[in-house]
Amino acid sequence: MALKAGLQMDETALIRAAQDGDHAAFEQLVRAYDQSVLRLAMNLLRSPEDAHDVYQEAFLRVYRNLHSFRFDCSFHTWLYRIVTNLCLDHMRKRKVRKEEPTVLATAEGPMDRMDAVPEDRVDGDPQRHLFSGQVRQRIKAVLGQLTPRERMVFELRHYQGLRLRKIGEVLGTTEEAAKNCLFRATQKMRAALGDFV
Amino acid sequence: MKQDLNCAAARERFALLLYGELGFDEEERVESHLDGCAECRAGLAREKAMHAAFDNVEVAPSPALLRECREDLFALLADEAAPAPARAGWWEKFVDALTLRPSAGLLRPAGALTLVALGFAAARMIPTANLSPQFGAASMTPGASRVRYVEPAANGRVQIVLDETRQRIVSGGLDDQQIRGLLLAAAKDPSDPGLRAETVEILNTRAQSADVRDALMFAVQHDANAGVRMRALEGLKPFAAQPEVRTALTQVLLSDANPGLRTQAIDLLTGGGQQINREVDRQLIGTLQELMLRGEQLGYVRERCRRVLESMNASAETY
Repeated sequence: MALKAGLQMDETALIRAAQDGDHAAFEQLVRAYDQSVLRLAMNLLRSPEDAHDVYQEAFLRVYRNLHSFRFDCSFHTWLYRIVTNLCLDHMRKRKVRKEEPTVLATAEGPMDRMDAVPEDRVDGDPQRHLFSGQVRQRIKAVLGQLTPRERMVFELRHYQGLRLRKIGEVLGTTEEAAKNCLFRATQKMRAALGDFV
Repeated sequence: MKQDLNCAAARERFALLLYGELGFDEEERVESHLDGCAECRAGLAREKAMHAAFDNVEVAPSPALLRECREDLFALLADEAAPAPARAGWWEKFVDALTLRPSAGLLRPAGALTLVALGFAAARMIPTANLSPQFGAASMTPGASRVRYVEPAANGRVQIVLDETRQRIVSGGLDDQQIRGLLLAAAKDPSDPGLRAETVEILNTRAQSADVRDALMFAVQHDANAGVRMRALEGLKPFAAQPEVRTALTQVLLSDANPGLRTQAIDLLTGGGQQINREVDRQLIGTLQELMLRGEQLGYVRERCRRVLESMNASAETY
């Protein structure tokens, strides 16, 4: 709690400085949050181009509207509200238009765009490598079948580690609604992955 | 007293249990059910395995993408008109006046007066107030600070150890020891792959120095980000004939998760067709044969190994 308070104190000073037009302070705010923003957008949209667009749009909105930020909630919540809204818009448009599939047809067969992103994990066991590859493909497919809200709640809880109460705040809903969403998402994942795990 | 859960109800709660999102009572009921039900314990183990599998599809944005996003954003902001200043209400203005911020305008003298009055009143009301000067200074210091350690002290007081960072700009040539030291440290900064990638790229221009080469060899073998490893490999290219660099490249070839890096390591180890001595040949053949023996599913890497072994008139297998 004390640690959080310490960080909060500095963040408040940074935000106030940025509100007064201090570019360096704004840049510091961006650098403090942009990796997690980009990771969130990348995982949800599975397209570096879309993630780039969301990143730009989100921080531009923050810059333009920072004067209206009155510390009613944490800066993190406010920023994530903007980012998640932009991502949800992207995902809904994609659902409607059925455009930009993450799996592309290539001469060598179907290829997931995100497979071009270097993978960091080392897995020396070839059998396990093959098996985990199949599981990965299945998980990606199921994630694509979740509704945008289910996908968002799952992403925020599992990958971003946000508590359901915070997710509710970010998405402008209740903790209970976020819990139901997460429940539906995990049910669908379990049904689809049952024979793999 | 709530009823015990049946199997279906317990299983419905597994996901929330693993996320730590069940209330105390709910968690107790699930745990109590699990104690007496081996089938559900197995079900929970499966649920855990599924959770672990989810982690494998998470994607970390590349340092290059992060850098591009930052550059584009800061370029956009440079063209953007200055944002509208915060329009403070009376309370914010009052707080600003107390903190003597310039935005308080005409209220600043009133704020100063209020502070003096408050200070006087506080001194009268709290005779034992005895804040150490260090704390006073630390709490007002701009820049990032975080509480590293807290410890109860005598008389109900608390001692807090703060880690503080202040931004400072240093500049200098790459031959400057201080600059070099900072760059070598930044190349290992675990928190920012973008920073590591930029640092490695700068260090690549001084790879003729042993300390820089050591940092590049460390990065190529141990950095968690493939983009950073790739850049470090670039810097090591001109030194691929040196024994310690070859050892690092062999390690990349044997264990890196990224096929692109492994393929580049083969190219560098085979000297791009240049003549290499017989001792080196033997070691390389051994490494390539070990890779072939593993039978990994990296088709292209495997094919390259086979071709190199053929060109060296070596068998693809060991006997």
